[in-house]
Amino acid sequence: MENHSTMIAQQDTVAIDTPVAQETPATNGKAVADTPRILSGAQALMESLIAEGTEVIFGYPGGAIMPTYDALYDYTDRLDHILVRHEQGAGHAAQGYARTSGKPGVCLVTSGPGGTNLVTPIADAIIDCTPLVCIIGQVKSTLLGTDAFQETDIIGVTTPVCKWNYQITHADEVPEVLAKAFYIATSGKPGPVVIDFARDAQVGAMTKAFEYKKVESLVSYKPRVVPKDEHVERAADLINNAKKPYILFGHGVLISGAMEEFKAFVEKTDIPCASTLLGLSAMPIDHPNYMGWLGMHGNYGTNVLTTQADVIIAIGMRFDDRVTGDATKYIRQAKVIHIEIDPSEIDKIIKADAPVVGDAKEVLKKLLPLVKENNHAAWKSEFKKYDVIEDEKITQRELKPEGEIKMAEVVRMLSDKTKGEACIIADVGQHQMIAARYYQFKKPHSYIASGGLGTMGFAIPAAFGAKKGATEREVVAFIGDGCFQMTIQELGTIAQSGLAVKLIILNNNYLGMVRQWQQLFFEKRYSYVELQNPDFITIAKGFGIQGHTCSDRENLSDSLDTLLKSDKPYLLEVMVEKEENVFPMVPAGAAVADIKLEC
Amino acid sequence: MTTYTICIFTENTFGLLNKITILFTRRRINIESLTVSETERKGVSRYTITIKHEKREEVEKLVKQIRKVVEVLAVFGYLDNEVVYNEIALFKIATPIGTRPLDIETINKIYKAWVVYWGLDYVVIEKAGDEAEILDFFRYIKPYGILEFVKSGRVAVGKTPNGLVEFLPEEAHWEYYL
Repeated sequence: MENHSTMIAQQDTVAIDTPVAQETPATNGKAVADTPRILSGAQALMESLIAEGTEVIFGYPGGAIMPTYDALYDYTDRLDHILVRHEQGAGHAAQGYARTSGKPGVCLVTSGPGGTNLVTPIADAIIDCTPLVCIIGQVKSTLLGTDAFQETDIIGVTTPVCKWNYQITHADEVPEVLAKAFYIATSGKPGPVVIDFARDAQVGAMTKAFEYKKVESLVSYKPRVVPKDEHVERAADLINNAKKPYILFGHGVLISGAMEEFKAFVEKTDIPCASTLLGLSAMPIDHPNYMGWLGMHGNYGTNVLTTQADVIIAIGMRFDDRVTGDATKYIRQAKVIHIEIDPSEIDKIIKADAPVVGDAKEVLKKLLPLVKENNHAAWKSEFKKYDVIEDEKITQRELKPEGEIKMAEVVRMLSDKTKGEACIIADVGQHQMIAARYYQFKKPHSYIASGGLGTMGFAIPAAFGAKKGATEREVVAFIGDGCFQMTIQELGTIAQSGLAVKLIILNNNYLGMVRQWQQLFFEKRYSYVELQNPDFITIAKGFGIQGHTCSDRENLSDSLDTLLKSDKPYLLEVMVEKEENVFPMVPAGAAVADIKLEC
Repeated sequence: MTTYTICIFTENTFGLLNKITILFTRRRINIESLTVSETERKGVSRYTITIKHEKREEVEKLVKQIRKVVEVLAVFGYLDNEVVYNEIALFKIATPIGTRPLDIETINKIYKAWVVYWGLDYVVIEKAGDEAEILDFFRYIKPYGILEFVKSGRVAVGKTPNGLVEFLPEEAHWEYYL
């Protein structure tokens, strides 16, 4: 075994202000200040984070990461740290932060259970393309593979769910690895990276002066940002000759910040467009070309008319099965243009006639001058016909119900009160779909939910992360009573951080979406979906968060006002109809044309 | 089922074998053989993996997924007729006194195999060739009594006028082994 003892300081902390020159006095009498100070690995990590513009770390200390937390103690003026209550909370908070701030979210946790608790957010971030830099402590490198206390092979555990990972075993590696980590996390298709930081590398001193060079390219990793001209030309040709072109856009438009280019493209070509779940808010809902959203609980016309379009222009989306339904029956009649930064997505689910690999913003910039001005008024009006049916059969009934409060009216009332400008966080289930259906998004980066992985418990931590990333915005989370109990401990984080996050529980005392499926597809055999819930308001108050419950329609408006007016975190529990179903619905595995409007 | 040979060029870093093999496992594609070696460029490893699959498009998707691994420099998928390939096998054959002597002339001239080690009571024969040739020799030598048999994974080079390393990213100044 190689012995690094000559390079590694024996004490747990290396005094930051002790220049090498003081230990080995300079003979030429030159000023000590000329000599670069030597940092420990943990200090180098702090300097690296600062060099990357990191403002906040979401984390939780523990044994193997303690030297890094000790170093952090000296950096509290430059690095904010939010102490979560469970590492899963750190991960989802970092996701929320990344999605409102546009910067990578940074997590800092310890080895073993600290790392494994972070696996769910990492898996969530890879599928929803969220940039995270996860720094996970590790036992001393000499103990690796010995089943040491809190040792988990976190590289092995995270490899299938992260974009890149690396184990640091010497302090000298820190700046270079961090620079690489930030570059990989944020470039191309963004995603989570994991740094497994051995304790001796945190404690040990660098053998050279700290120097930070940002990585701007890697030999083995070259995401194509600017598309090939011939690909763009082929796409433009198809668009210019299309009779019924139809744009399906996704998260990629938001990630690349292509909202302006997208709007210009849509307005010049007059093509109707529809959003995926995570693409929501990239286009304001009142734009005349915005037809609604796609997929299992999306709108009626947007789904059905995929069967009539002659050219589909997919931008920054990946044809998830919740969008396509039965993919073998999806958009078979249409020529497909697929604009996507990740080449492995091309032809993965839907064959592309004109693939365009590149960043959505760059592609749209190149595409705009090549497409002709057009008018698709007749084609757009077809969507309106379906809207009338959907409005009559579903929307009006949901928004103007009798009897118990419906989730939809809560969401729409909040939408009106916030003028569609709040940042909405949703957890997973019926309330997530309802929030997507009835909130009228006017501003980008306003719908933050776990789309691909469907992680219950996402919303509470993501909400305070999102608020941290956009403190000037109103952040409101819609959370189911089931989801709320999955990360309920993060109320403590919210209270301690003082972030004015607004939480709304839409409480139906059921795991509502599972119950809906059991009703529709399992002959109403309600297998373990009814919840005996705690008194959520008392719990919130126990954590130091004010709140109240609303059970009557006449109190709903005042309740929402109280929630919105609070300059502190606030919890509103709304008791909603117990057995409400979300419609429209494309049953799992069915073709989108078989969308159901009612039971 | 068609046999595909997948050649992967990577940076030579820790844990990369795992990062590559899990992509096969996740898609329930069984690896028939796997060889990892250095290449003519320093710091670049070459994986040669053979798989059997019914659908070419699934193999193409797999190749794209492998390319996505950050440390992977290039990936190529081939059908058998697009590569020159070989495996190497070692046979340990018992030769106690009184048994039928080995016919070295047949082994050399017909089967192009060579005795590479003589023990007191056994010999080790090396046979290089494709799967069919090795199997052929296996059948021939079996009656003599095989004590041990081991076979390497496939190694393959493309039937193209260029070297595959020509496809590696250009801006890196790869050093050649001399």
